[in-house]
This record gives sequence, structure tokens and C-alpha cells, in this order.
Amino acid sequence: MKQSTTLRLVLASALCSLALPASAQDDWPSQPLRVFVGFPAGSSPDVLARVVTEKLSERLGQPVVIENRPGAGGVIGIQQMLVSAGDGHTFGTTINGPMTTSQRMMDDTGFDVAEDIAPVTLLATSPLVLAVASDSGIEDLEGFIAAAGAEPDALSYGSVGQGSGAHLTAELFAAEAGLSMLHIPFTSYAEVTTSIIGGEIDAGFMAPSAALSFVEAGTMNVLGITSSEPFGQAPDVPLIAGSAGLPEDFRAELWNAFIAPADTDEAIIARLNTEITDILEDPGVQEQMLGMGWQVAPGTPESMAERIAVDTEMWGAVIDRVEAQ
Amino acid sequence: MSTWESLLLGLSFALQPQILIYCVLGVLLGSFVGVLPGIGAMAAISLLLPLTFYMSPEAALIMLAGVYYGAQYGGAVASILLRLPGTPQSAVTTLDGYPLTQQGRAGLALFTAMISSFTGAMIGIVVLVVLAGWLSALATRFGAADYAMMMIFGLVAASTIGATRPVKGFAMIALGVLLGCIGTDVNSGAQRFTFGQAELLDGLNLVALAMGLFGVAEVIANIRNPERQKTAARISMRSLLPTRDDLRRIPLPILRGGALGSFFGALPGTGSTLSAFLAYATERRLSRQPERFGKGAIEGVAGPEAGNNAASITAFTPTLTLGIPGDPIMALMLGALIIHGIQPGPMMLEARPEMFWGLVASFAIGNLLLILLNLPLIGIWIAMLRIPFNYLYPAIIVFLCLGVYSVRGLTFDIVLVAGIGLAGYLMTLAKLSPALLLLGFVLGPLIETNLRRALLVARGDPMVFLERPISAGFVFAIVVLLLFPLWRLWRRKA
Repeated sequence: MKQSTTLRLVLASALCSLALPASAQDDWPSQPLRVFVGFPAGSSPDVLARVVTEKLSERLGQPVVIENRPGAGGVIGIQQMLVSAGDGHTFGTTINGPMTTSQRMMDDTGFDVAEDIAPVTLLATSPLVLAVASDSGIEDLEGFIAAAGAEPDALSYGSVGQGSGAHLTAELFAAEAGLSMLHIPFTSYAEVTTSIIGGEIDAGFMAPSAALSFVEAGTMNVLGITSSEPFGQAPDVPLIAGSAGLPEDFRAELWNAFIAPADTDEAIIARLNTEITDILEDPGVQEQMLGMGWQVAPGTPESMAERIAVDTEMWGAVIDRVEAQ
Repeated sequence: MSTWESLLLGLSFALQPQILIYCVLGVLLGSFVGVLPGIGAMAAISLLLPLTFYMSPEAALIMLAGVYYGAQYGGAVASILLRLPGTPQSAVTTLDGYPLTQQGRAGLALFTAMISSFTGAMIGIVVLVVLAGWLSALATRFGAADYAMMMIFGLVAASTIGATRPVKGFAMIALGVLLGCIGTDVNSGAQRFTFGQAELLDGLNLVALAMGLFGVAEVIANIRNPERQKTAARISMRSLLPTRDDLRRIPLPILRGGALGSFFGALPGTGSTLSAFLAYATERRLSRQPERFGKGAIEGVAGPEAGNNAASITAFTPTLTLGIPGDPIMALMLGALIIHGIQPGPMMLEARPEMFWGLVASFAIGNLLLILLNLPLIGIWIAMLRIPFNYLYPAIIVFLCLGVYSVRGLTFDIVLVAGIGLAGYLMTLAKLSPALLLLGFVLGPLIETNLRRALLVARGDPMVFLERPISAGFVFAIVVLLLFPLWRLWRRKA
């Protein structure tokens, strides 16, 4: 598979270098852009990509087509972007997983983050909240840590799979708080939510927007949020950082980013970065994203590369700890 | 607000021209894509999603829902006429629907499927309106142990469907369960039988499996057998009308199928598949001549069709009352609401009653439209069978590949469908039932995940399966099902 992908890549780029003169970026974009998304239409990463690309299309004067290639936690989307790469009009959006932890969780992702992918910019970040059922009687983080610390695995928590953001965030939290919790993997937040409300499991790290509607209905309590600053969508939820004995610099966020194949011309990447960061400055876009649980996080390609490095190391350490257990 | 007032509110909302038009559009498109093999509601709804940005959220939801249940009607057409099911639940419809076509009674089979679908959906709507609160509580009350035992019960109850001999049936279920193991194990994260292929990390593509085992296999079998190609010509419009005998056989299976579907549909995940298989198994067990099943028994079409359409309605309960989607298509519909800034959740019903009741009213309107649309179309569908096979079969293969590709956009899946098709043809020769393989494939991994999850949550204590009342009930039912044939054997000998 890897070989044939590489071969197709080479062939595709060879064909394109024949077809396009080197100065092509002057009249870029000369054709519709394709943006690969590794999640199905209607999913949170997909909706986010559509909000951005709709505006991008207006600014570039070319249609931007979303190509959904769901599978393997977003890895398939990146693979498919790389297969189609080489024409300067193929890009992708991705969540943090395939950029930071998938290489550790999978036998072979078929690509190397540093070698094959050029960062364009972070789009947005989303913290997670620690949620429990309201009839658990647990009201705050201190109460939770006391209950979970009574004995090893006293409390169980759900996640959306081994190595998922929800799993690793919970393990990071447990390590920092000196706890051991029982991990119950599920396949979707829908199942985790049902299981918490039904009292089958005790807790879970969830998207703020999803959890808050259950808080409003009185069936869930939200104990803390993983961002480093108060989150616009849930300003009343206390930060985990610095409370109940957790370190001041505690931060665990999911993010979403715009990426390009590594051989994309630098001028094109710079242009895209300018356009997209401009789009993210638009208050309308910010509000729309916040409604979906995302805080815009525009930046440079360099700052994104740095974020990838920092997060790869941080989550790598968490995976080491989980594997050692 | 009483239920009646709410319903009236819903009706007056759904009958507004600017809402009604989207309901019509949705069911038309749904029944169209349902007929195309493999191109299911998922692909159609994904395509429509960008359009919903420019619509009101209520109109968007009503249109997408129309595609969802409309596709159920269309799915029966391809299953009955060409043995081309796109989903496990329509695979059940092929078991007796396709033999009816081969006997020149395709019209009857389609007519029965449409009437059963309509009645089943109506039963589902009534159950949804009357029992919505109870059904949504059911979804949160079901734990991993309960799901595990319920699905084992489903497997055992359906284990001999469509099989010439019980041992062949069990073998097919086992093979299905094994194929279901391919992919990432939810509990451990281990990658099983993926051979380093990222395309296999989420398991085999279900649509490719269904299309290969049924559609491709059937095309190969027909090419090999000129006798089978002739069946099409013998169909007359008169065969559409049910005989007095048929009319007597249809009503009870519809009611039973509708009741089963309404219950299982409300459980997130496999409700629709389970209800179709269980409805079929029920009819066969209750029949005085179980040997007719698999050879064109009309009850075998009526029960499952009523079941899966009822399920497609009550499947909206957890989605609407809790904001918890029951399957990936429901998740997509909720995605359409999130784009509009509506956070699905337990408060949605209170905050936007016109959305909930408008949708419920649109179910009734949409199903009425579907039956009015589909009954006259039966003649056209049957005419399709008169297309010479050397045009029809290549067209089937093309549509089938399109359908498989539309799921994930991967060419890998097209190669897969070809390979599975060959295997499916060999299975036809050996008289092995592909329907049971599909059932094992769908339920196997869910049983494993839930069984292990239940044991994890109980810290390894197997008594959890007997301590939880729902789970214990299913354990009891499984024991009864397994002992019943033995008891009958013993009585006959005595």
C-alpha cells in the first residue's frame, strides 16, 4: 500500500510538473481547490471545514470542494490528500490525532507528519469538560478526586476509543491528580453520554456543548474544563488548571488545522495562511464556531509546527504511561 | 399542552407550503436513492447537507428525515426484483421477495412491501407519539450487559433463517462474526486482520459486503444459468393484485412486524436490522407451514418490511428527545442542526416543540406521499425486468460500484466488492445463506464489544448478566429458545 501510494504520488507530481510551469503561483488558484476531510459530512470537523472554505472560496474566486474521506480517526483523509497531491490545489483539514498520536497508535499510517505535511494554520481549539451524572452526588473537582482516590479504579470513565482525545485527556488528568481510573472505551460520544446518564459509567471528558445541554436538563454535572483560559461557550465552568491541587499549566485541547501536502509551493501556503487567518478574525465566523464548541486559533505555519511538536511530546508521554500499566 | 394540541401544532407547521415542499423533496429523493443499489440514505444526505445551510433548521430536518425513511421504501424494490439489498434489513426482504419475482409474482411482492412499509411506519408514528417519554428512558436504561444479551438473543432467534440445514446456518453466522472481527478492536485498540491496510482499520465496508454477497453473486449466477434469465418475461400486471389467500396472510405479520420494529427501533444502533430479522423469524415460527419460507412466502416480505419501517420512525426517539443519535445517519441530521447553532440535547423538545411535532407530523405526511407515489410506480419497476439481461446486468454492476464508492470514496472498496462477489457466487452454489452471514457480521462485533464492556464495568463479575433485569430476561429467552426444539423432539419420541 505504502509503495503504491508513493508510486502514484511520484507519477502524479511528475505529470503535474509537466503540465504547470514553475511560475504557476502567480495566477494561483487557476482551478477549483479540493479540501480533504477525514470525517463524514455533518461531523464536527466537517462542519468546521465548511464554515472556513465557504469564505475561502469567496476570497479566492474559485470553488472549494470538500472531499469527505472518513476512516481510521482521520488518517484516511490525509492519506487520500497525499495521493491526490501535486497540483497545488489539493489541501486538507485535520484534527490533532493524526498529527500527534496516530503514529503511535497505528502500525503504519502511511505518512510521516514532518516529511509529508506542510502546516498552514491552526483553525480552532476545543477544550473538554469533565462530566458526571447529577445523581452521583459529585458537585466539584475536589469531590471527584476524593471519590476516585478512595481506591484504585474506584471510578470508571468512558472515552471514544483507545488513544482518542477523550481517553488521553482523562489519563493525563489522572496522572496529574495521582489517580487510577478504569477506562471503558466506546465508539461515539452518543454512547458515552447515554452510559453516564444511565449510571453505567461514572464520568467522561466530553465536548462542552454536548455536556452543557444535559447540565441544563439537570441530568449532568460539569466539574471542570481543560483549557488554559475560561472558555467562551462555558464561562462558568472552572478551569481544571490550578484547582484541586492540579498544576497551573494543565492544558489539554483538541484542535483542528488546515494542512497542505509537503511539496506545496511556499508562496501558496503563505497566501492561504493570510486568507484563512483573515477569515478567522471575522466576528461572525468566530461566533458561529463558538456555537459549535470551537474557539478560533489563527496562527502562522511555524506556530502550528511548534504546537504539533509540543503536543506530540506531551501525548507521547501519556501513551508511554498507559502502555506501561 | 395535550398530545392532541401538540399534534395539531405539528400538522399546521408541517403543512405550510415552504415546509411541505421540502418534505416532498426529501421523500422523493429518498425513495429514488433507495432503489439504486448501494446508494443509501447516507450518501444522499451527505450530498444534501450543504444545501441545508440555506434552509430553516426545521425544513432541513424534515427534508433529511424524509430521505431517511423514504429510502426504506426504495430499498425493498431492488431487493425484491434483483436481489440487491443495500442494507442487512433489506437482505431479509430478498429471502422471500426474490423467489416471488422468480415465480412471476413480483407485483404482489412489491405491493405487499409498500402496504407493509406504510402500515409499519404508521404503527411507528403512533408508538412514537404515545410512548415517546417511555421509549427515550428505555435508551438510557439499556446497559452494555443488556445489549449483549439482546443481540445474542437476536442471533439465536434468527440463526436458522434462510438456511437449508441448521448447521449451514450456524456456519454462516460464525463466518460473519469472524469477518466482523476485521478492524480496530474497540476495547484494546488492537488492529486485527488489517494487514497494514488503513482501509481495513474500520472493518470491511458493510455495503460492499452486502452488494458482493447478493448482487454480484446473483449476476454471475444468472449469467451461468440461461433458464433464470427467462423468468422476467412472464410477469403480467394482473399478478400485482393479491389473491384472497394472500390478503388473509398479510395483516397479522404487518401488525407483529410493526410492534417488534417500534420497540427495537428505539434502541440506538441495531434496532432496524434486529427488528427485520426477528420479524422474519417470528413469522416462520408462527406459521403452520414453515417450509414455505424462503420459497416465496408473502408473510416473509410483510413482517420484515413493516418492522424496519416502524423502526425507522421510532429510531428518532433518542435522537429527538435526548439529542443522542441512534446511528451515523441520525448523527448527520443532528450535524445539520448544529450548523444552524441549535445544540441537540434533552432540552430540544421543550425549547422547540414545533420542530419535534412538525417532524412527527411530517412522518405521517411523508409516508402518505410515499405510498401514493410508489403504488403506481410498481408497474414501471416491473417493466424494468423486461430489459434484456445483457443491458440490465452491466448497468447493475455499474450502479453497484457507484453505490459502494459513495460510502467512503475509496477504490479499495470496489476491488473488495468484486472479490466478495466471487465468494458469494461460490456460496450460492453451496446453498449457503448470505443473509445470516450479514447478520453475524453486524451483530458479532457489537456482541463482543458489549460483552467485554459489561464485564469491564462489572470489574470482571459475570453475574452482571443475571443481576440486571433486562439482561436476565433475555438470558431466560435465549435458554427457552435453545431448549424448545429439544423439548419438541423429546415429546415426539415419547
